[in-house]
Amino acid sequence: MNRTFLIQAMLCLSFTFGMVAPGFAGDPQDQLRETTDKVLSVLSDLDLKSPSKAKERRERIQKIVDERFDWEEMARRSLARHWPQRTPEEKREFVPLFKALLERVYADKVEGYSWNKILYEGETIDGDYAAIKVKIFTAKDQTLHVEYRTLKKGNHWLVYDFSVEGVGLVNNYRTQFNEIILKSSYQELVKRLKTKSAQN
Amino acid sequence: MRTSFRWLLLPALWLLILSGPALGEPAAPIGSSLDPFGGTSINRRSGSTLSKSQPSVWEVEGLDSSACYQPPDLPVLVAQSSKPSLKEEELELEEKLDTIADPLEPVNRIFFHVNDKLYFWALKPLASGYNAVVPEDLRLGVKNFFSNLTTPIRLVNCLLQANFKGAGNETIRLLLNSTLGLGGFLDPAKTELRIEKRDEDFGQTLGFWGIGPAFYIEWPILGASSLRDTFGYAGDLLLDPKTYLIQSAPVGLAIRTYDQVNETSLRIGEYEDFKKSTLDPYIAKREAYHQNRKHKIKNR
Repeated sequence: MNRTFLIQAMLCLSFTFGMVAPGFAGDPQDQLRETTDKVLSVLSDLDLKSPSKAKERRERIQKIVDERFDWEEMARRSLARHWPQRTPEEKREFVPLFKALLERVYADKVEGYSWNKILYEGETIDGDYAAIKVKIFTAKDQTLHVEYRTLKKGNHWLVYDFSVEGVGLVNNYRTQFNEIILKSSYQELVKRLKTKSAQN
Repeated sequence: MRTSFRWLLLPALWLLILSGPALGEPAAPIGSSLDPFGGTSINRRSGSTLSKSQPSVWEVEGLDSSACYQPPDLPVLVAQSSKPSLKEEELELEEKLDTIADPLEPVNRIFFHVNDKLYFWALKPLASGYNAVVPEDLRLGVKNFFSNLTTPIRLVNCLLQANFKGAGNETIRLLLNSTLGLGGFLDPAKTELRIEKRDEDFGQTLGFWGIGPAFYIEWPILGASSLRDTFGYAGDLLLDPKTYLIQSAPVGLAIRTYDQVNETSLRIGEYEDFKKSTLDPYIAKREAYHQNRKHKIKNR
């Protein structure tokens, strides 16, 4: 009982970097598929496999992800009702910290992972919102149900949340952030984020 | 086994007729659920690999989410259905926090700490040593074997949730994997027929019957649970053949420990990464548990 959901919560985060990246025109699912393929092609690029190229490879993956990943939207939703209470300076400080927390921990995760198959199960569009269901088959025999939530900005469907086996990233951070802010303060939250970044 | 299964089906079928409309489920998924093979079969139509960008055509039948599944080229306008739209759902989520009650938090946090230390001081070193000695294929086989052994838990709970498709799948899996799968070490039902395991337990059945989790409990050793799922776990023990096959308590404990070590050996590093990604690992674990259980209950 214990193990399974931890793994899922974890993979939930780790798959971000492989799955999400920019797309061009088209449906949310097509854009997601396109960017997934881009990341996969970087991962399977033999020229980038050598240890000396590790840094370059990571940067390239991060760039693909960064371009269309809506970090601010994700941070805003994670802080939820605490977001409007923050000053513009605080917001500018918070978003990169949150992004760094996710990126640093999981970049190597996605690099180490081998996916057997990815199955796109369809999209649900409602105005500017869209949900995309994906099933991932990992090398270790796991099947993961992933759902991406995207928001349309211009021609791009940008991912602001996703869940693996029902465990949503934004929802999970929202609860953590809320507890920390209510029990201590926003300053404590920022302090913890900085400590985490330093540790990782 | 076959015959007894049919007998099990009869009252269950009756149950379905009675409860079908009352559950408010769409007719189509229930109808299709009578086909035990339909469940998880995935027919691959065109050969495609991950790296290819050409759209691969998959046909997925009877997915958990079949109610809202549509082929990719037919976007569903959820606003037209009775379900809350994506937008409404998002706005609602921003307003309230969907958490699980936690009146025992001080005690739970102590046990969380205990379990954390148990992992780093006992389970992980054991699993790492085991990992170094035993090849991965063998460890996956052991995992399959233990999983095959607990089929009654999943089978009975599928039936208790009127999920005949799942029950049929579990029956086929048990028969096939116990014979061709060499006593459960291999999983030909999945690898050859694409019949996947239905992850059901009594806690989920109670949830399906409308019983909420009540509150969160972090058990020492067993880990995350809720009041409902603790009762569920007790029910699962009654359906676990190990409970009856192994008379001696120390042997039973040893076997369950081995199962755990084997499982952990396939997952070393995941808990560590999880902890790294969280600012309050206890809260993160609790909420992840809650959300995952809700997801599993919904996708029966």
